[in-house]
Amino acid sequence: MAEIKSGDIPVLPWPAVPTPTPDEVYKGLSEAAQEYPRWLETQVHWRDVGKKPEKLNRLRVLDCSIRMNIGHWASSCFSEHGAEVIMVEPPGGDPTRKLTPFGRQEYMFKDSETGEAVGGKFLHECRNKLSITMNLESAEGRELLKKLVVDADILIENYPPGQFDAWGIGYRQLSEINPRLVYCWVGQRGQWGPLKDRPWMYDPVGQNSCGFTHGTGAPAAFGGRPTRSGFWVCDHVGGTTAAMGIMAALNYRDRVSGRGQFVESTGAAAIMRIIDYNWGWQGMDGSIRPRFGNWDLAINIYAVNPCKDGQIMVGGGHDRLWFRIWKTVGKDRPELEQHIVEDPQLKVVVDRLPYYAQVETYTTFADWFKDNTRLEAETKLQAEEVASGGVTFADEVAEFPHFKYRGHVLEINDVLYGKVLHAPAPQTAQKAPPRIKWLGRPTGYDNEEVYRRIFGFKKDELDSLKKKGVI
Amino acid sequence: MAKSFEEYCREVFDVKKIFDKPEVFKGYSCISATQYILGPSCANYFAELGMETIKVELPRRGEPMRHTTPYNEPFLYPLSKQMPDKGTGLGFFGANHNEYFLAVDFHKPEGVEIMHRLQAKADVQAENYRPGTFDRWGIGYRQAAKINPRMVYIWMGGFGGWGPGRVRASYDILGQAQGGTFSVTGFPGPGHGHPALGLPSKHTIWLADYWGGMMGCFAGLAALWWRDNVSGTGEFIEYSQVHGATRHLESTLPIYGRHGVVRQRWGNWDSEMCVHGIVQCGKPSYPNSKIMLELEPGQILISASDDDQFAKLCQTVPNLKALAQKYAKHQARIQPAAQTEIYTAMEEWAKDKTKEEVWQIMEKADINSQPVWSNKECSQQEHFQLRDELHWLDDPYFGDVLSQGLPFHLSETPARHRWVFKPVGADNEYILQKYCGYGLDQIRELEKNDVI
Repeated sequence: MAEIKSGDIPVLPWPAVPTPTPDEVYKGLSEAAQEYPRWLETQVHWRDVGKKPEKLNRLRVLDCSIRMNIGHWASSCFSEHGAEVIMVEPPGGDPTRKLTPFGRQEYMFKDSETGEAVGGKFLHECRNKLSITMNLESAEGRELLKKLVVDADILIENYPPGQFDAWGIGYRQLSEINPRLVYCWVGQRGQWGPLKDRPWMYDPVGQNSCGFTHGTGAPAAFGGRPTRSGFWVCDHVGGTTAAMGIMAALNYRDRVSGRGQFVESTGAAAIMRIIDYNWGWQGMDGSIRPRFGNWDLAINIYAVNPCKDGQIMVGGGHDRLWFRIWKTVGKDRPELEQHIVEDPQLKVVVDRLPYYAQVETYTTFADWFKDNTRLEAETKLQAEEVASGGVTFADEVAEFPHFKYRGHVLEINDVLYGKVLHAPAPQTAQKAPPRIKWLGRPTGYDNEEVYRRIFGFKKDELDSLKKKGVI
Repeated sequence: MAKSFEEYCREVFDVKKIFDKPEVFKGYSCISATQYILGPSCANYFAELGMETIKVELPRRGEPMRHTTPYNEPFLYPLSKQMPDKGTGLGFFGANHNEYFLAVDFHKPEGVEIMHRLQAKADVQAENYRPGTFDRWGIGYRQAAKINPRMVYIWMGGFGGWGPGRVRASYDILGQAQGGTFSVTGFPGPGHGHPALGLPSKHTIWLADYWGGMMGCFAGLAALWWRDNVSGTGEFIEYSQVHGATRHLESTLPIYGRHGVVRQRWGNWDSEMCVHGIVQCGKPSYPNSKIMLELEPGQILISASDDDQFAKLCQTVPNLKALAQKYAKHQARIQPAAQTEIYTAMEEWAKDKTKEEVWQIMEKADINSQPVWSNKECSQQEHFQLRDELHWLDDPYFGDVLSQGLPFHLSETPARHRWVFKPVGADNEYILQKYCGYGLDQIRELEKNDVI
């Protein structure tokens, strides 16, 4: 395949197809049926977030995490909800800034002031955050952190287990400076215990040591093998549980104790918590959960199926949907409907789960799909109110009318980075919603502002710190 | 500092002392009018933090996940003879720990009255019926906010209550499919320079559901903090599952928006770091096992992406020696062709090894690595048991159950698990007496009329 260079593809302004208007969306509905969605829309629309307060603007977060996304993900949860998140980066910046797919520099983003290049992954997580630099490897840098901690509510770090403690800036020491501090360590498996993290253990360590990779992918009989997630899923889920733990600690601090606490969250344990029924099943009879590709062990029909132009998801685990699905198929291919609904082995919901039953179901289903595109199949199935939808790629995600209408994908015109397409916070709220105010900060961009505001440093003091390599 | 850091951590996070410590949400209550996984898991996270969480199900049959279990084989049966002789499917497992179980038919006016009485006292209501359904039944946010303006109401579902897709039904994998996470997971199609081929793949856990519940829970925790410390008022939160899935796409949307490039899949390697991928070994770890899965050859992640680590890796793996110079710099080895060359050389080397043998070699060389473990292998790790991330729970209804623990540890107010779940309506009397002010006569009357 010929190599495609940046600039070879004409890039249309987003959205390429206009977003539907409310009147188009609610056309044909009775007034009563329009009332609830229209009311809801006025309450939680993303266009109005700027008029509303933020929930966490009284909180200050120091995000000292580097090299992984788990800490950044956790601090994103806070910055989306209004907390002041200060990324404390080593001089030269967090190495994550340099990550770009296949090393492609042309896919990096440059700000208009410094021209420093940053990868899309870091940029996307650098939402509403400030960036300062601080050399924690130097004693002077650590003194600065101690001063910063005096008026901070949350500190998040992911350095090797015990590193901060050995440096004199661990929870034991910082909680004496500020007993209200909620201190959170994040990592893949923990900072204590026989399998604790080695220095800089990244995400797939978590994915592999919790049973996730082992259970994902197609069975060997279908040519598959254990498969890791396409993104750093342990970082994302572990970062979310870290944010939950911190938020719980803050609730307790501000309502009851007045004291902070030590929080630890790990990617492996986060996925272990949510890995369905694996443990219960194993505990009962020693079962190892097998890989089952894009089908589901516990629900039939509930799968992604190949079709004419890609893949399509269809789900309907109980009788009502089962018969509607086959009715839809039967309109084009009555013999396929007949084949399934007259099969005595598939009569009862729970009989449809064994392996042979699922093979029977999906091979028959695929016979119908081969003549249908995603859109055709989706339209036919949705006419019968069956949950279905195509497997969509980035371009289709960005142009999906529902996403554009609801702001699931948004473009920000950032003061520094210009227009950037992104996925905002997935929650909406009526009174104090989360929001994206800016996306991305060059390394140490906020040094001057933060050091002056919080420490009262003058220009020459900053210059001398910079010269010494402290910031 | 007499204690080492390890000792200190083991002490402050000691899982044997969890029940000696207070809970974050003592005296708070949460209504969980939810089914499947997305909504239930959200309410479950509150229950783990000490909220009295009341799961409201339809009488007798209960929610659909009770009847969902892998291959339709494993079901949990209550130990007691007093309970109905009916098993609960493991689909219900993991999203309903610690909860109280109330059965109410909200279609009946008496059921609506019960809901209103609960709502008057609840701090949180999690709900995932189709948008507008609870509003129509008179038990939605608009009605609840009048009864109890301090309530945090979390609606969770597929596409959200407004916009073109609002009427569409959704499940976990629809979120994964429509939100774009399938498109970046799995082995690539032909033409991308990757030797192994495959299709877009799902995350074989109900990720969009369980993780979506977490995002809903985080917003709820923030809303409670805001209510108790700032505003004094409740909140309405809407969480859309398909929306949540897009949040995972990392650089995908920024790069598509700027350059029009549509991200594809890169299998078990990493598109941004190298070496940082899963290597196929040649030998199975359990050649005599009776379990088919265990006869498959193993896999192991090898991670050495910094230049100095890669140099060390090249000294450890003889097949890489020839490539050490050529790919000394990260910018050179991150290219697709370079990755193929490097990983192929490593797989060649690992052909006559099990994943444990490779692991041992990597450990010795101080290179980060991790075999792909099955749930069985995970559960054998002392590490997870010591940290209570996996434990045998002495469940009051079901006896010994192997269960997941908690993902985060709090030194002062740890979350905890008490039981895995209970049968439908197991706590009818307790909840109706405590929250609704009903006595025995009224409860029997409600039972007779099939309301509970």
